[in-house]
Amino acid sequence: MKTIPKASRNNSFHYEVFTSVLNSHFGVSVLAIILSVVLLAALAALYGASPIEVILVLCEGALSGKRAIVYTLLQMAPIVLCALAVYIPARARFFNVGGQGQLEIAGLAAMIVGTNVTGHPALVIILAMLAAVVAGMLTIAIPLVLKMKRGASEITTTIMMNFVCTYFVYALITGPLKDPGAFYAASKGVPKEYLLPNFPVNSQLNIGVYFVFVIAIIVALFMKYTVSGMKLKAAGMNMDAAKAAGISVNRLIVLATLAGAACAGFAGGMEVLGVTERIAEGWALAWGTTGIAVAHLGGSPLGILPLAFILAVVETGARYMQAMTGVPSALVNVMQGLPVVIYVCLLSLGHLLKMKKIDMKVGE
Amino acid sequence: MDWIYIGNFIQASVRAATPLVFGSLGVVIAERSGTRHISNEGTMLLAALTGVIGTKYFGNMAFGVLFSLVIGAVCGLILAIMMIWLPSNQTIVGIGFNMTMVGVTSYILRLGGDMLRSPVPAPAVKVLRFSLFDVFAIASALLVWFFLFRTGPGLKLRSVGENAMAADAAGINVIKTRTIAMVIACMFSSLGGMALSLSWVHVFTDNLTMGRGFIAMAAVYFGKWNPLLTTLAAFMFGGAEALALRSQALSATISSYYFLMIPYVLTLIVVAISGRMKGPQDTGKSYIRQ
Repeated sequence: MKTIPKASRNNSFHYEVFTSVLNSHFGVSVLAIILSVVLLAALAALYGASPIEVILVLCEGALSGKRAIVYTLLQMAPIVLCALAVYIPARARFFNVGGQGQLEIAGLAAMIVGTNVTGHPALVIILAMLAAVVAGMLTIAIPLVLKMKRGASEITTTIMMNFVCTYFVYALITGPLKDPGAFYAASKGVPKEYLLPNFPVNSQLNIGVYFVFVIAIIVALFMKYTVSGMKLKAAGMNMDAAKAAGISVNRLIVLATLAGAACAGFAGGMEVLGVTERIAEGWALAWGTTGIAVAHLGGSPLGILPLAFILAVVETGARYMQAMTGVPSALVNVMQGLPVVIYVCLLSLGHLLKMKKIDMKVGE
Repeated sequence: MDWIYIGNFIQASVRAATPLVFGSLGVVIAERSGTRHISNEGTMLLAALTGVIGTKYFGNMAFGVLFSLVIGAVCGLILAIMMIWLPSNQTIVGIGFNMTMVGVTSYILRLGGDMLRSPVPAPAVKVLRFSLFDVFAIASALLVWFFLFRTGPGLKLRSVGENAMAADAAGINVIKTRTIAMVIACMFSSLGGMALSLSWVHVFTDNLTMGRGFIAMAAVYFGKWNPLLTTLAAFMFGGAEALALRSQALSATISSYYFLMIPYVLTLIVVAISGRMKGPQDTGKSYIRQ
């Protein structure tokens, strides 16, 4: 069985589809989102609610009024960062499923710095955010080393790391880092002066949210206009060709993965210093998993922004939907996975049809 | 340390290992036929719920298991259409499927209300101290091993996963073989989910499987895609889980969360030890007939 040389195997097609997932197919993404919202509404109909009403209520809950919009933006920010945490490493063929764990540990680091260091507020905030970013990078270091040195699949290791990180954070906030005054599992709060300032001042919108947009734009520019971005693109398209062209692929994988984890770390730090102020049980929503969906649907740093917004709307509106229509808000968790599945299937269906067409032409 | 304690521990280990054994058999069958079965986790989760629903609805665990197996087979067919008929990236479809299932199951659980939340009666039939699930898990490990390595269809299945093009040239229908393998694999994954909800915890909660589908995959890598070695690896993980639960009850000073980490840390260590394993050559690669 092993006498057939590898090159003659029919495996090039698989890689073509893989890379196409990393390129932007915005129309297909929108179609996938629409189809999954239709399915979502159909599932809501199982409960007995009117599908159209459910969709309208979702949007109303997330978009009507200043408060709702601010809350949606606050949801969107960590999703964008977690999507970048998937997107950047994916360009170097490292599938980071561990955004959630990186975010949790980063939040922990930011909280520790914020509650223990005293000094000029700006300095403390910068130090806490740096700690968060470094913590995110340290968290991915284990899967990264296992991948580079041992060839272990990063999918398994990053998912295991998610569980380990979540339990580790829980162990600390119920143990040594527990606030003695709290009745439930929660750490001490970061003092008010070390929290991220809000802008506009009287709103709930912290400046971290603006940074998220800046980071997305920087990543987009980096991918497009720098040599390293070009190298990353080349490696993502064809690793062997990139190697042959003299690109140090291993270095690229390490740097891209660390950059991604830094984004997830930033999200964790931002969330603690800007929104939750402390770490309590269940402080982080499933931004890491939503980020995986958004990264694939978005397909580019700027494409991530609108898709993160759509999923943030769905998640923010969920609670309002439950209050208004009685449909359990757990329903919208379906949106973390369904659009991606539909998106990938639509793309590969397109490829299949194209290929069949070419075959028929060759046959003539 | 007396005999009763050891007996209890063995019983707990086997009970914890059974879902992993079934799950890893599903992964072995799917990956031996050339399909990456990351969807193992989601299938297990769905089956854990449908098993409970079926048992409650029919009032009989046997019918509940049958119902859940049918759902598992349908699930396998849908996955086969998405991953085998279409040349999709199986990793991304699998991960997306798992996340979708987390949402779907927790939604259905809430739709069911209190009826679904109340515990299922423990299975009545026991062999020694083990439930029928435990016995059947070991029997199926032997059966799958025999099927894969000692029968003609098993050889066909492996050849499709090893080199799809050569298998096609030899007259094997690659897509059909992989589809059937995927349906059977998902039925095994379903049994894993049911073993968890029906014979162990007796109740369904949100995200009940907690990554056990992935732990089962790690067992497969550690066991080199061999059903028997894989089962041994699954028992090792089961033992770790039983140990975690036991020490949690024994120790008051150390946070129980550290013990809950044990299976996951062990998985990390195992993956680090096994490293880049040479599995079936064509696993995860789509096949298009030209």
